[in-house]
Amino acid sequence: MKARTELLTGAAVVALFAAGPYLAPLVHLDISIVSEVLVIAIAVMSVNLLLGYTGLPAFGNAAYFGLGAYGAALSVQYFGVHFIEAVLIGTAFALVGGLILAPFLLRRRGIYFGLLSIAFGQVFYFIAYRDTDVTGGEDGMNITRPYFGIPAAHFAVHEVSFYYIALAVFVFALLAFRSIVRSPFGRTLVAIRQNETRVRFLGLNSDRFIFVALLLAAAMAGVSGALFALLINFAYPLELDWHQSGYFVLSMILGGAGTVWGPLAGAFIYVIGKDIISTITPLWQIFLGALFVACVLGFPRGILGSLAALFARSRAPGDLDANAAFDAHAPAEAPYVP
Amino acid sequence: MTLNRRSFVTLAGAGTAAAFGIPAYLPRIGEAADTLKIGLVEPYTGVYAGPAENETAGFQLALDAWNKRGGVMGRKVELVKEDNQNDPGVGAQKARKLIDQDKVAALVGTVNSAVSLSVSGVAFASGMIFIDSGGHSDNVTGASCHWNTFRTCHSTWMETHATGLSLAKRFGKRWFLITPDYAFGHALEAGYKDVLGKIGGTIVGDELTPLGTTDFSSYLTKIDAAKPDLIIVLVQGDDYTNCLKQMNQFGLLKKYPVGGPQVEIEPLLGLAPDSRAGYWGVEWYYKSDLTLGKGNTLAHEFVAQSTKQFGKPPTARNCFGYVTLDRLLTAMAEAKSLEAVKIAHAIEGSRFTSIFNGPAYYRKEDHQLMWPMWIAKIRPNGTPGDKYDLFDVLDIEPAEGIEQSIAEKEKVCKLGYP
Amino acid sequence: MIHDLAPQVFNGLVLGAFYAIVGIGLSLIMNLTGTINMAHGSFMTLAGYLAFTMVSRGTSFWFALIAAPLIAVVVGILVERTLVRPLYKREPFYSLLMTFGLSLMAEEIYRLIWGPNGVPFSPPPGLASAVSLGFMSFPKFRIFIVVVLVVAMAALALFLTRTRFGLRLRAAVQDSEMIAALGTNTQLLYAVNFGLGIFLAGIAGVLAAGMLGLSPTSGNALLMPAFVTVIIGGMGSLFGSIVGGLLIGMAISLTTLWIPAASEVSMYILMALVLMIRPRGLFGEEGIFG
Repeated sequence: MKARTELLTGAAVVALFAAGPYLAPLVHLDISIVSEVLVIAIAVMSVNLLLGYTGLPAFGNAAYFGLGAYGAALSVQYFGVHFIEAVLIGTAFALVGGLILAPFLLRRRGIYFGLLSIAFGQVFYFIAYRDTDVTGGEDGMNITRPYFGIPAAHFAVHEVSFYYIALAVFVFALLAFRSIVRSPFGRTLVAIRQNETRVRFLGLNSDRFIFVALLLAAAMAGVSGALFALLINFAYPLELDWHQSGYFVLSMILGGAGTVWGPLAGAFIYVIGKDIISTITPLWQIFLGALFVACVLGFPRGILGSLAALFARSRAPGDLDANAAFDAHAPAEAPYVP
Repeated sequence: MTLNRRSFVTLAGAGTAAAFGIPAYLPRIGEAADTLKIGLVEPYTGVYAGPAENETAGFQLALDAWNKRGGVMGRKVELVKEDNQNDPGVGAQKARKLIDQDKVAALVGTVNSAVSLSVSGVAFASGMIFIDSGGHSDNVTGASCHWNTFRTCHSTWMETHATGLSLAKRFGKRWFLITPDYAFGHALEAGYKDVLGKIGGTIVGDELTPLGTTDFSSYLTKIDAAKPDLIIVLVQGDDYTNCLKQMNQFGLLKKYPVGGPQVEIEPLLGLAPDSRAGYWGVEWYYKSDLTLGKGNTLAHEFVAQSTKQFGKPPTARNCFGYVTLDRLLTAMAEAKSLEAVKIAHAIEGSRFTSIFNGPAYYRKEDHQLMWPMWIAKIRPNGTPGDKYDLFDVLDIEPAEGIEQSIAEKEKVCKLGYP
Repeated sequence: MIHDLAPQVFNGLVLGAFYAIVGIGLSLIMNLTGTINMAHGSFMTLAGYLAFTMVSRGTSFWFALIAAPLIAVVVGILVERTLVRPLYKREPFYSLLMTFGLSLMAEEIYRLIWGPNGVPFSPPPGLASAVSLGFMSFPKFRIFIVVVLVVAMAALALFLTRTRFGLRLRAAVQDSEMIAALGTNTQLLYAVNFGLGIFLAGIAGVLAAGMLGLSPTSGNALLMPAFVTVIIGGMGSLFGSIVGGLLIGMAISLTTLWIPAASEVSMYILMALVLMIRPRGLFGEEGIFG
């Protein structure tokens, strides 16, 4: 897509979301569920960075999401910090988690990487479930949403204020994500996905690139988790479970892996779709599962990816099409064995 | 599958527009401007779907009874149900949806304590009444209590203290515990340790079974060596079914008495008769004078109506649902108001009779419903003609003797009325 | 100390035998086509429920033990032909996602058909009690599980080494292009292989229903141990799955003895260790998953 068209559509989407509090009631949607869409979209972006662009099956991102949530909740509960600090501390928690796990995850690629990330995620899940005195265990942690700002100048964060904060953070994350994937660093990640051996032969240390990607993903998922905890005023162990990771992956695939706006589209469909369907019928899980199956079989490029493929003619040369790798008929890529 | 580009785009565009626009066209079934809506949040999917259905059946009966009498303050009452998917995050979002979109007057429900806690938080932030029908964790009326939160079912402390003395008297003071290794299990464990401490009993074995344990064999093989008087099973739900089944296969049910804080009919139905055994706490039962109260016509009508309408006798879960909604609507009618603070004051303190034995009241200090618990022995095959008649209710324990005292509760619970 | 140890070791081995049956089915499916079947637990639960329905209508346990897995195989092959086959050319991660979606659907469908509560399914009267082994009392049913494992392994080994079909299957695992070029109907091979894996899952499912409980969420609990078995034992090796299963069984019972809190997590830690030190597992073959 040409740069100017992209800028205009992007601005239009942001403007649409900015009018959220007025539009949402018109379609019988609660503003806080749209907040949830924005928050989850950030976590889905983290999966997108690893899976969509770098080609690493990231099935353990819920661990960082949960660490972010608990980091925020614990700091609010025991240290009485305010909104911004809570988000920062949550992100820091998740980053530390990423730092701890990255050396282990780096040693493998492909499905082994995926299974390792599930395994580590489960270890964190068990810890959260057990540690009852500090974290409340399976009862979870109830917190009161703190003020936003400094002691001298602050305001209480009600649902609409939260929405705009979430929107601002999302836009910031989106811009950051976009510039990451379009930078030489980002292009190297795509190159790693296509053929890591070749990248190494070119003299680049692919491990270092993946390490940074892992940390970035951990940070993003951490921000998302911290915001989520502040949204629902609660932190609980299920946030760390591998099923949660699976839902992030589903959202990414739905929206379009390897695209910049895919995570938002996917999160929107997943969060709001699940909410609507679960209100209509208790059989929503059948629909969700069927959606998963249909998506993997028929639309692996996701909504935005499929649309982009249709308008491929208008793609400017040099544009990054990371989504093409998800085409059902894409040539198989050479696996790298470290 | 190749689609012509244009037709694909039109299809996709139309589909997306429809999908985004669906919420606008989705009326709530039975929406009428002047009905009084109560939000019901239950785990209709997941491991607690069975108890959720039964609680809902109880809520339904109370609803029908009130509507037959003309509703509350002249308005018909309606239950708006949402599936919390056994997930506290979803529970919180559904609670908010019920408050903001459906404009409910109060929230009720849940089976899972974690969801109760998160919904309670949302209700508190919005100044809305929430009555926890089925989440047992002490926290709900303890450290996480709020002025707007009430609880109908018994707390974990009540469960252990109702059964502890009775079990020790019957079987002896050397106990072997099988404890699920998380907050809920530890709360039960602490409760029993408190009881044993008071009577000089000993715990000869305490196996902590981590989350996700389906196979208890490694723990069961230690029991013979410990030579207990009694095996106490603290795991619940599916884990309870697994544990008892395996205990039977290891021949333990024939060798040792087994008991615990609480059992419900639902998990027992998942066991073959030869695996049903023991002495347990029960929170209510449909077929005993001790639980229903002698000559309690309301209770007998409830049981008869429930059996007729749902094809099986009501369980304790049905009771929770019924009592919760009944008391909520009573309070609204008495307060002649939908203001949460007024309703809260109307609920608390006043003694009432309902479908169980004896008067009860929601305690003013922590909003816990103070009603008795009972001890029952399992009848593996029911009685002739009634396969559900699995409990032989033996003892009744009054509430005041089994829950923490007001003084103890006030140390952790600050209701914080506005 | 021996007094404590012996029962745990024995119990661990028996548990391991059970996990081995589960793992072998999963391994079979993975080896030939690289399909990661996250719905393996769901097939197990399906066979369990089918057995329950059969027995409640009067058939014997033994009939159900064979018939229920066979019906599950029919379902399995249907699934393989329609949903799994299109993913053969793609990376394993797609089959993981698709079968994950399938498992979500399955859980809800079971809830619809058989209800949300657990259903009672017991071993036949002859196997329902415990036998005294001197150092402990042990359920006869669990000993039966070991017997089933031995029989199943013998049958599988015979099939793979003595029949022509088995030979083709082993050849296809090594090089399916070559064997297709030599004229074998590889699609038939894939379908039968999947069916074989599901049959084993079905047997394991009926056994699990007898030993543990049976509810819509039963499959979930057994899925992860199955994966860990295959990973530890080695993808590509059936013998490895047996060893992997036994190792997990032992790990769980021994950690229960010494560090109870870690017994469920020990499985994941073991998996992580193996993945980092020797990702192809103890007996696995190089290069199956890069």
